Parts: sequence; C-alpha cells; structure tokens
Amino acid sequence: MSTPKHIPLIETKKLCKSYFNDDLETPVLFDIDLVIERGEFVAIMGPSGSGKSTLMHILGFLDHHTKGQFLFQGEPATKMDEDTLAKIRATRVSFVFQAFNLLPRTTVFQNVLLPLLYHPTIPAAEREGRVQRAIEAVGLSERSTYLSNQLSGGQKQRVAIARALVTQPEVIFADEPTGNLDSASGTHVMAALQALHRAGHTIILVTHEQSTAEHAERILKIYDGKITDDLRSFKRRHAKDGITIEK
Amino acid sequence: MLFSDTLHTALEGLKRNRMRSLLTTLGIIIGVGSVVLMVSIGTSFQRYILDQVETFSGDTFEVNAKGMEQVGKDINTITFGDVEAIRNLSTVKNIAPAIFVTERVQYGTKQIAPYIFGTTKELFANWSMKIGEGRLLTDADVKGAASVAVLGPQAAEDLFENQNPLGKRITIGSRKFTVVGILEEIGSPLASQLESIVYVPFTVAKAMMGRTAYVDYISLQSTGDNEMTELDITTLLRQRHNIENPDNDPDKDDFIARSFAQATEIIGTVTMSITLFLGLIASISLLVGGVGIMNIMLVSVTERTREIGLRKAVGARGRDILLQFLFEAVCLTLLGGIIGLMGGVVLGFVLVLVAAKFLGTIHYTLSLWAVVASLATSIGIGLAFGIFPARKAAQLTPIQALGYE
Ligand SMILES: Nc1ncnc2c1ncn2[C@@H]1O[C@H](COP(=O)(O)OP(=O)(O)O)[C@@H](O)[C@H]1O
Ligand SMILES: [Mg+2]
Repeated sequence: MSTPKHIPLIETKKLCKSYFNDDLETPVLFDIDLVIERGEFVAIMGPSGSGKSTLMHILGFLDHHTKGQFLFQGEPATKMDEDTLAKIRATRVSFVFQAFNLLPRTTVFQNVLLPLLYHPTIPAAEREGRVQRAIEAVGLSERSTYLSNQLSGGQKQRVAIARALVTQPEVIFADEPTGNLDSASGTHVMAALQALHRAGHTIILVTHEQSTAEHAERILKIYDGKITDDLRSFKRRHAKDGITIEK
Repeated sequence: MLFSDTLHTALEGLKRNRMRSLLTTLGIIIGVGSVVLMVSIGTSFQRYILDQVETFSGDTFEVNAKGMEQVGKDINTITFGDVEAIRNLSTVKNIAPAIFVTERVQYGTKQIAPYIFGTTKELFANWSMKIGEGRLLTDADVKGAASVAVLGPQAAEDLFENQNPLGKRITIGSRKFTVVGILEEIGSPLASQLESIVYVPFTVAKAMMGRTAYVDYISLQSTGDNEMTELDITTLLRQRHNIENPDNDPDKDDFIARSFAQATEIIGTVTMSITLFLGLIASISLLVGGVGIMNIMLVSVTERTREIGLRKAVGARGRDILLQFLFEAVCLTLLGGIIGLMGGVVLGFVLVLVAAKFLGTIHYTLSLWAVVASLATSIGIGLAFGIFPARKAAQLTPIQALGYE
C-alpha cells in the first residue's frame, strides 16, 4: 500500500510573470518555486518594486501568470475556466488591499455583505448574521451603518478585513494592509490577521517592513522577482488587541 | 448570484450614483419628450387642417377663368356655351355655374359686403353645405328668377344678430330679397369666408350683373375618375377656346380646372413637411440627449471599472456584472422613456387643448412611429452605453480592472 501523495495548498513551479504594454514586455517574476501549506502564516517581504504584489495577485487568482505552473490544491490554474476562477474567488480565497478598495458611498454593512452576494452556497438567510459577526470581529459594530468615506484609514482596512473573512475562506491574502495606516491602526490590523490565523485560516501577507513581517511564522524574501530567502520567523511578534475570531 | 440580488445590486448602484442616474434619465426624458411633443403637435395640426379641407368632397371640381384670383381684375373667359358643353361631358355631373354679384347687402341699418353667389342648388351639394333653417335654393327659384336669398351663418349673424332672419326682407343693390334659408355652421376658422357667403338664384344674378355671355365660376363633380374628368374638361375648353397646348403648359390656358382632392393633396404635403420639420428639430434634441447619456456613461467608466474589478475580486462572474449593468440601464432608460413619453403627451395635449380654444375642434393625434422611434433610440443609446463599457470591463482580470485609471 502506498500512502496518498501529499498535496500542498499552493505550489508554484518555475512560475514567471511579464507585463505587456503595447508589445513592450516587462518581466517581473522569474522562476518562482514555492510551496505553502494549509494553516501557514507567510509574510512575503521585499523592497518596493520587487514583485510582491504581482506574485500575490497570481496566487490569489486576480491575475494570470505567463509561464511555469501554479497549482491550487494540485489543480493547475491555467486549466480553470472563468467560472471556476470566479467560484474560487468567491469561496476559497479573499483579499485585503493596501488601497482598501471599498465601494464608495456604501455602508460598512453593504461592503462586508458584498462577497456573500456572489457566494454560491451560503444561503441568503445566513447573510446578516455572518456580516454582523465579521464586523464585530474587527470591532466596528458601532459603525456598521456608516458610509465607507466616513471612516478613518484604519477603520477602512478593518472593514476590508471583515469583508475578507465573511465567507470564511481558506486563504486570506493581505497586500501591505498596514501600509497606509499609522502604527496604532497597523497593530490593530495585524492583531486581526493573527486572530484569523489562530482560527485556522492560511494567511499570506505582503510587506516591505521587517517589523510587520515578524508577525508571521515564515518569511519569504523576494528581490527583483526572485525568491532569495525562505525563513522561519524566530522572534515572532504578537499584536495584542483582544480580537478573537471564531473558527 | 440570485436574480433578486442582481436586481437589488442594480438599484443600489443607481442610488449610489444618483447624479449619473438623474442626468441619464434626464437625457432620455428630454429626447423622448421633445420628439413626442413636436411630432404630436405636428400631426394634430396636420389632421386638423386635412379635416377642414376634407369637408369638401374630393371629387368636387371648380373651373374658373385664369386670373380670377387676382383682385380687381375682371377676366371673363368661361362662357354659357362652355357651361353647357361641360354639362354634356359623360364624366361630369352636378354642374353649378355661378355669377358673382358685386353689391352690398343691407337689412335695416346693418350693411355688409359679402361674396354673393348667383348659382343653382347643385353648388350646396358639391360643397357639402347643409341647410340649418328654412330651405336651400331650388330649380324653381332659378327658373322663375325668384328674389330669394340663402345666407351663410356668419352673414345671417352679421345682418340679424339675434333676430330670426327667415322671411325677412333684405336689400341687395337696389333689389329686395326674401331670406328663405340659413346654412348650417361648418365651425372651422379655415371656412370662415364660406360662412359669410350669400346665395341668390343664378338667373337673378345674371340679370343684376347684366351678363349675357360669361360666368365667373363653375362647380361640378366628377362621376368617378378625377383624372379623366380633368382631362375631359381641359381638352374641351382648349378646343372651344382655340388653345394649342400639346405640352400641357398651364400658362397657355385661359382657365383653371382643378379638383379639391388636388388641393387637399397639396395641403397634405405641406403640413406633412411641417411635421417632418418639427420631428427633425426634435430629433436634434434626441441626439443631444443621446450624446449627453454617452458622456455620462463614459465618464463614469473609471469609477465603475474599479467597482467591477472589486466585484470580480470577491467572486462575481462576467454575467453577474453584465446583468447588473443591464438592469441599471434598463431601469434608467425605461423610467426616462416613460416619463418623457408621458411628459410629451401631457404637454402636447395641453397645447392642443389651448389651441382648440382658438381654432375649434382639434383632435390630439400621436403617431406610433414617433413614440417607437424616440423610445428605441434613447433606450438603445442608454443600453448600449450602459452595457458596452461594462462588458469591456468585465472581460479584464480583476487586477486590470482595479488598476484602471
Ligand atoms: N500593469 C503593469 N504593467 C507593467 N509593469 C508593471 C505593472 N504592474 C507592476 N509592474 C512592474 O512590476 C514590478 C513589480 O511590481 P509590484 O509587484 O507591484 O511590486 P511590489 O508590490 O513588490 O512593490 C515593478 O517594477 C512595476 O513597475
Ligand atoms: Mg505592492
């Protein structure tokens, strides 16, 4: 008897990415080999322009790579049609952007509700409860009827985190989630991500700051589109905030 | 995505982009409203005018000397012999010659100067004139040169005000006449001249004007084919007047023979072109409204492309996005179309109602093609420019759409 072959959550083999603008090719990622397991908290670290966001967009199904392989639970992304991609985005991965990307002139509640509208299996009757719990988890219950433009940067990012966790996805990607925030708000956001990790979610965080990266268990260093280091985080930071996220 | 969610999302989208929704709707309201308004006013008046003209039977003809229309000219070319010759044509019936009496009409201290037709009873039938009170002229009146007169309703009012004219004695020139009949009102401002005509027997007019050879006017009806009748009359009169006119050049003739149907046709063409002109002007506002809609839709593309990127990032499929934008566009254009249509109809109706106060009965007429064309155009523009950018944006990857500037 042979034991079934282990299938990692995310695996890339010689993954490359170039941008094309008017036939001008800009190569950004070169031969990325990477394995991320379920339940990991990984920080991707590197200087500005090194390709962190590009890599994360590909892993989060928001963009296509141009060469090599990207396997999600063993399935090659290149074989997936648009509907499958949409379904994965709706159910298994979610994103926290540096620029928040909330719907303008829309309430906190409506913003957090948004992914549930496109979720194929969560019944409509469960929506309100889920949205309320997600908003509570990031400490914004008092603000749920506020419009997105009536919030501070830190509050906006917490709305974005609530939106990312409302569907309880397996993987949450966060692209410099503290980049636009003061340090107090940043701590709050990192605490929320650590709470999500404790609740069992796989977290992939992009940052260019060592101190932020140290909240993760593992740090991938990327430089000029290549992975240069893959380290355990020794002195792991804990952002204490009293945030608890149910499993 | 659930259908109800899509609908709800679309309505939320409209609320969130209130200004854009308002301006788009306004563009459609103005476009549809102005076309419906202009065209309905055009067609209402067209129908009004044609109704007036069509009170005359289409196969009624009139023949008169060329130049008769010119004031002060006394051109006599149509003879008693012509009248008899025309009467004998097989394509002609109901012939009524007329001689105009150029005298004043007096009753008591009241005096008027109307057209006075010395004619026969056939004229009334040809002109679709009905008797209101009393009786029309008869063959016996003509044969016996009776001193009787039939008054148009306006002439009766001018002379008698509130008195009953029947049996009263009026003076025409130096001769006394008994009023035997008053015609029924036609009730149209276009026919107001007809309403004040006074009619006396042909033979009486002939004697009063000392005519021995010429008539001023002939009214008749064709027995069926108007073109045949016109050809017969023209050929006959050219022959009798020794006119060589093989090219059919109306300048060479010394008479005019034409049917009311021709006049109706000409008026119809004129009013039709007025309607078309109004429609053209309205189409310009439709176009302006349309360009406005395009502008608003295209300007909002940046923000909406980011919105589409975000929706795709959280799991929206291309068709969810398209359906949402389709609903949005349908709501706006339908709302705008319906308001524009109702506004145009109500405004047009009120204007026609006001006009009717001055012009008598006007029926509000709205042609279906104007409604359909204007709705189709503005809704088409609204849909196209609502959906087309959304379709393009939905084909981008979420990141391309989110980074769209
Ligand atoms: N749409 C694009 N077209 C062309 N080049 C791009 C595009 N997006 C990013 N780049 C380039 O790719 C490189 C990596 O960008 P990015 O992944 O955003 O880096 P990071 O997130 O590490 O700062 C940069 O040099 C950037 O200029
Ligand atoms: Mg970046």
